[in-house]
Amino acid sequence: MAAAGLCPCRALLACRGGALRALCGSVRGLAAGPETHFGFQTVTEAERREKIYKVFESVAKKYDVMNDSMTLGIHRVWKDILVHKMNPSPGTLLLDVAGGTGDIAFRFINYVRSIRERQLQRKLKDHQNLSWQEISESYQEDKSKSLGDSQVVVCDINKEMLKVGKQKAQHLGYSEGLSWVLGNAEELPFDDDKFDVYTIAFGIRNVTRIDLALEEAYRVLKPGGRFLCLEFSHVSNPLLSRLYDLYSFQVIPVLGEVIAGDWKSYQYLVESIRRFPPQEEFKAMIEDAGFFKVDYQNLNSGIVAIHSGFKL
Amino acid sequence: MLRGSGRGAAAVLRRWASGGGQGSGSGSARPQPLEPSLLRFLVCPLSKRPLRYEEATNELINEELGIAYPIIDGIPNMIPEAARMTRKNPPPAEGSKQP
Repeated sequence: MAAAGLCPCRALLACRGGALRALCGSVRGLAAGPETHFGFQTVTEAERREKIYKVFESVAKKYDVMNDSMTLGIHRVWKDILVHKMNPSPGTLLLDVAGGTGDIAFRFINYVRSIRERQLQRKLKDHQNLSWQEISESYQEDKSKSLGDSQVVVCDINKEMLKVGKQKAQHLGYSEGLSWVLGNAEELPFDDDKFDVYTIAFGIRNVTRIDLALEEAYRVLKPGGRFLCLEFSHVSNPLLSRLYDLYSFQVIPVLGEVIAGDWKSYQYLVESIRRFPPQEEFKAMIEDAGFFKVDYQNLNSGIVAIHSGFKL
Repeated sequence: MLRGSGRGAAAVLRRWASGGGQGSGSGSARPQPLEPSLLRFLVCPLSKRPLRYEEATNELINEELGIAYPIIDGIPNMIPEAARMTRKNPPPAEGSKQP
């Protein structure tokens, strides 16, 4: 009994196959029990997970088109800003959680490639009297290692979103330094102290136990590693806030119906944005998980915010 | 012609042998293996202990707990609810054997 108490996972051995799911739940404290919210509805945590899974399963194929039409393409700028803020150097290991469709991963790869190219050019400039052989070797090195050992691991809980991302990667020619994992942000399948940066863009809002996700982010980051979160937030300007509400509740579900044939999912999207804690409150949650130097930057008057913190 | 059909049958057999309906590949007959670089990072999400890659079944195995995580289309599925228990004879649940 004492041994079982020391390692709760051992309890798994004692159960039959069918009971695995139930046990997994209790082991992780992710049981169906406590009530939470799904948009403006009150549901159990298990129901919420299932409903959110269905939302993203249903929107996966139209996800990019919808993002473009709902934000008039501005989401691309927000994601660019996130990667610029990260400013990754060649060699950076990135874990992008909830990044199914690859938006952050592809930007990260592009960014690291351009930095690496600049470094190599500078190196060539510094050594003006290279032989042609040395020059061609340096180009070969550039080709085979254009990321300089950088790697991005995309982790998403939704199979459909990953499938779309992987297809997009093949289509756009990304393969080196990019891998895909199906996993839950609340119990990441990664070892401690492994990544330089953890990003989650428009994902944490959909995580049921945000506190667990933040603890996991902290665990997998190396000391000195950085947490970066891009998420819809709260607009403080009252006039802009009214306009934004009008747009969110009157326009977005209609766009969802017209473009993706899915009113409900986009209704959820808007409601979930309103339920997400405001900037200061979320900042406190990140600090509670152990992060230092936690800060945030509002974009477009707080329609979205980038929160940043360090594991020291 | 003959060779072609033979290859087809082999593919079907291989697929059948690799567990049929378990969603072991949408489209491609041969399961995609794990990307080696991922093994540097991956652990069991429950115990956070290292995993062993089993090429034959294309699974990531936690020996200690007896859990196997499948790799589907090259993507490791690290959701415990989707994992397979590898032990054949788990101890019977308490109470079930009592008359």
